[in-house]
Amino acid sequence: MYNSLSNRRSFIKKMARLSAMAAAASMFPGIIFASEQEAGIPDGANLDWKKGPCRFCGVGCGILVGTENGKAVAVKGDPNSAVNKGLLCVKGYHQTMCIQSKDRLTHALVKKKGTYVKTPIDEALDIVANKMKETIAAHGKDSVAMYTSGQSTIPEGYVASKLMKGAIGTNNLDCNARLCMASAVTGFLTSFGADEPMGCYEDIEYADYFVTWGNNMAEMHPVLFSRMLEQKARRGAKIIDFATRTTRSSTASDKSILFEPQTDLAVANAICYEIINNGWVNKSFVEKHCNFNKGLTNIGYGLEDNFEFTDKPEKIDFAAFKEFLKDYTPEKVAKYSKVSAKDIKYLAFIYGNPNTKVVSYWCMGMNQHTRGTWINNLVYNIHLLTGKISQPGNGPFSLTGQPSACGTAREVGTFTHKLPKGVVMNAENREFAAKIWKVPVERIPSKPTYHATEMFRAVDRGDIKFIWTQATNPLVSLPKTSRYRPGMQKDSCFVVVSDVFPTPTSDVADVILPASWHIEKSGLYGNSERRTQHWDKMVEGPGETTPDAWMFIEVAKRMGYGDLFPYSKENHVEEIYNEYRQFHEGAKHGMAPLEVLKKESGVIWPYVNGKSTQWRFNAKYDPACSNGEDFHFYGKPDGRAVIWQRPYEPAPEVPDSDYPFWLNTGRVIEHWHTGSMTRRIPVLHKAMPHAYIEFHPEDAKALGVRNGENIKVTSRRGSCVLPASINERGLPTKGQVFVPFFDENMMINDVTLDAFCPISKEPDYKKCAVKVEKA
Amino acid sequence: MPIKSYLAHPHENKKEELITALSAFKECEVMPATNEDILVLVTDTLDDASDEILKEKIENIESLKLLAMVSGFNSPQNQQ
Amino acid sequence: MKKRLGIISLFIVLFITFIVIWSFSYQTGLEEGYVPIENTAIHTNIPSESGVFKRSEFALEYANMPVDANHQRTLDTYYDNRAYHGAPPSIPHPVKNERSLGGNTCLQCHQNGGFVKRFEAYAPVTPHPEMVNCRQCHVAQNSNSLFKSANLAKVHAPKVGVNNALLGTPPMIPHQIQMRENCLSCHAGPAAPKEIRVTHPERINCRQCHVPTDRVVSEITPFSRTNSKDNE
Repeated sequence: MYNSLSNRRSFIKKMARLSAMAAAASMFPGIIFASEQEAGIPDGANLDWKKGPCRFCGVGCGILVGTENGKAVAVKGDPNSAVNKGLLCVKGYHQTMCIQSKDRLTHALVKKKGTYVKTPIDEALDIVANKMKETIAAHGKDSVAMYTSGQSTIPEGYVASKLMKGAIGTNNLDCNARLCMASAVTGFLTSFGADEPMGCYEDIEYADYFVTWGNNMAEMHPVLFSRMLEQKARRGAKIIDFATRTTRSSTASDKSILFEPQTDLAVANAICYEIINNGWVNKSFVEKHCNFNKGLTNIGYGLEDNFEFTDKPEKIDFAAFKEFLKDYTPEKVAKYSKVSAKDIKYLAFIYGNPNTKVVSYWCMGMNQHTRGTWINNLVYNIHLLTGKISQPGNGPFSLTGQPSACGTAREVGTFTHKLPKGVVMNAENREFAAKIWKVPVERIPSKPTYHATEMFRAVDRGDIKFIWTQATNPLVSLPKTSRYRPGMQKDSCFVVVSDVFPTPTSDVADVILPASWHIEKSGLYGNSERRTQHWDKMVEGPGETTPDAWMFIEVAKRMGYGDLFPYSKENHVEEIYNEYRQFHEGAKHGMAPLEVLKKESGVIWPYVNGKSTQWRFNAKYDPACSNGEDFHFYGKPDGRAVIWQRPYEPAPEVPDSDYPFWLNTGRVIEHWHTGSMTRRIPVLHKAMPHAYIEFHPEDAKALGVRNGENIKVTSRRGSCVLPASINERGLPTKGQVFVPFFDENMMINDVTLDAFCPISKEPDYKKCAVKVEKA
Repeated sequence: MPIKSYLAHPHENKKEELITALSAFKECEVMPATNEDILVLVTDTLDDASDEILKEKIENIESLKLLAMVSGFNSPQNQQ
Repeated sequence: MKKRLGIISLFIVLFITFIVIWSFSYQTGLEEGYVPIENTAIHTNIPSESGVFKRSEFALEYANMPVDANHQRTLDTYYDNRAYHGAPPSIPHPVKNERSLGGNTCLQCHQNGGFVKRFEAYAPVTPHPEMVNCRQCHVAQNSNSLFKSANLAKVHAPKVGVNNALLGTPPMIPHQIQMRENCLSCHAGPAAPKEIRVTHPERINCRQCHVPTDRVVSEITPFSRTNSKDNE
């Protein structure tokens, strides 16, 4: 952006151009001038640049990968992508460096007499198919299971679902998105009857306030946070950080408000109380578009095996809701939330003030919560009461952590209860799926079986005799791995792991299948803002690495389902996507055709008449609205969104005299999830070589703990030794410790608790009680 | 030596045409937006007279709906 | 005689007991005084987050500021001014007030920078204005001669343009950032050496893309799986 004074003329030209661009941006927020971006980036020798989405988080940045002689040698941000406009984060820029890692899985490995033997992939797939058939013959359909991922591409998720539910006829299919997104899904379904955010990232360009609920976006969704910082600098938009730990995001925000773990439920209710008490309710919106419901209370925590729960919604009226909120005055809530009444009122005013636009962002803080569905509902309540929803710059926005948690896990539906459209419990949905899959409808079972945690409990119990995991590393990412690792090691279960690198999960496998990495295959991902992104294969994978979708298809053929999987090896991605698209036809969820996706850097669904729908449920933008009003929440039969009465209930395990600290877990910017990819990227590993345990300085002083000293952290389930970190990356509140979970050499999930939200079945990794001592 | 910047709005579906037409002038620098129907135009002319002539030429382009000036610079010491 | 022998042997017994007790207590005393040195594992420090976003309020101004080509600093003059890279720079100009700690005097120019006519230069901005005892570390250069010459080991300062891991990727941070957590103070504005001046100061969340490397501190071994047997 600098030019020397001697070249004043080109400087003036530049200023002229910039002022015109600034003027354009004020008329069309979110406008992109790709040529300006491209001018700043060195071309690099004779590189061939190909577009795709980033392999890592759910933001879904567009990347351009430069290849030379069949090798990926460079990565830059895609200036044509509306998501990131040419910017990436440190993980994104260096992502392709992991594929050349020395310990890459390049051939199938089959365990024979305790050692892994290199096996031709065809033979390994024979073994897998035979074992699956034998197990079904001996123990029934429900003895085999598949555990996939929010990193599976859309075609991979689709064939997994078709194989398990349509061909074999079992609902034993779940995915790791259960560990990160399930509460967001149940939150959307209970409040709106339709999954995924109503708004899009462009809200950032219009909002006056960003309230982040338990969300360290500067490290976890850095590119979106940069867009927020830009609005802060240019327009004076404000960032309010509401969290249990002081982070890089808190430092950058205008105000940081800390709360006691689990009391977000109470604070959200207190905000609603203030909104009603001050007359900030958008009466006409609520009367026209909202219902009030209450559900069951004291709903448990799912700590016991075979736990079951079904909510019983009951209609209530506004008066009853108002009466319920009397327990949540700011003064009462301040006592146990450790948020001052003044701060609660401040938050309420931001939402209540009719003249400001507010977006709420959240991710794991609210989703990984034993009342995850409730807290999602409560934040929707705030936006519904004030009518600040489904408009540019106004709305609740649930972020995702995996590149296709939305596109695959939620839209294709690789959960036990889901079908590509609708749920297995619904006869009409089953018939629709059976028709497209060309299978008898009776084959699709109507009862959901195991969600993620329960699936691994069933493996431990011996109920599941065969499990196939794909693109995920459950023995690092599950809570309470201290139970599930020995469970998977048992001889009662045959374990197949498809992955790119060896992980603690592949260590317990009977067969390891070598998967192609991201750019070594073609595929589609769907990001948090409903954007579907396609990419073509860019480089050849090493050895016998094979795309996951093709491995599923090969096994299906070997099991005798060849006629259901008539796809070709070269073109299966395209063929599968075109088949899948039929499920979502129509104005409510239409997916863009492949030709459009190949040309553009991602397209938002519903894609209707050649146009993306950026704000759903708003008649101005969404052609699916049909009630003649400004808003139409068509996910619910009566077209109304639901405001839920949800109380505060405590966490299942709270600090006591034996285990006096809260344990919170999470991520760091350098590493992504279990680190199996990012730790093999030298730049990222050197910047963050191992995990650590964060202390509040006063706690550290009281315990006599110095920086870098080894600390043993112990819960009722297990322990882990890590070096202490005092006032470095993050600062937990007093009485809390924080540990990132990426490090398989320091397994903090041996310590965490496998309690989950009874509605969404998503575990809470953010709260359990531990003790700490010097190791 | 006037330097001026404009926002140029094309008629519907005429964006590509407008870009081609504008790029034909050597005094013009065109930067189209990727996701909106608008483009940034920077003109760099020798003197006021040629600036007037160029502006007239631009306004005669058929695919152009509206031309809005954003900023203008003119200082004689700029000559090099 | 017997009586005398008895008394002598009693004293001998007492004397031996005394020796034993005394040496025992002396030994225990020694043990108490001995503090065993704990063999703590060496872990890399994670850079502090303090100051990451400091000066970000000036980022837009930095971005829009034209460059004064005649008064730019270069990386060479930047390194000239310190004993080795990472050392506190010395004060290359006369000091206004010899008795001042530095805070009030130095910060007048070095808190926010600006052009100083007298030195024909822009004042560099300190990355740690909260540390006010400036002259604890920064000393004046009052003489060019040495007391005795010495053979100082040469430390090579990090170079510009060689810190990318891949073609065109954001360079890693090749220097320590303790007390220099605030990137913009040295990498933006008119006093920033021209080689290391950032082209995009408005981004402000620097460590989103730029992370420290181990090159200057200690070698970090590549990731290895210590918890599990090898698959291969």
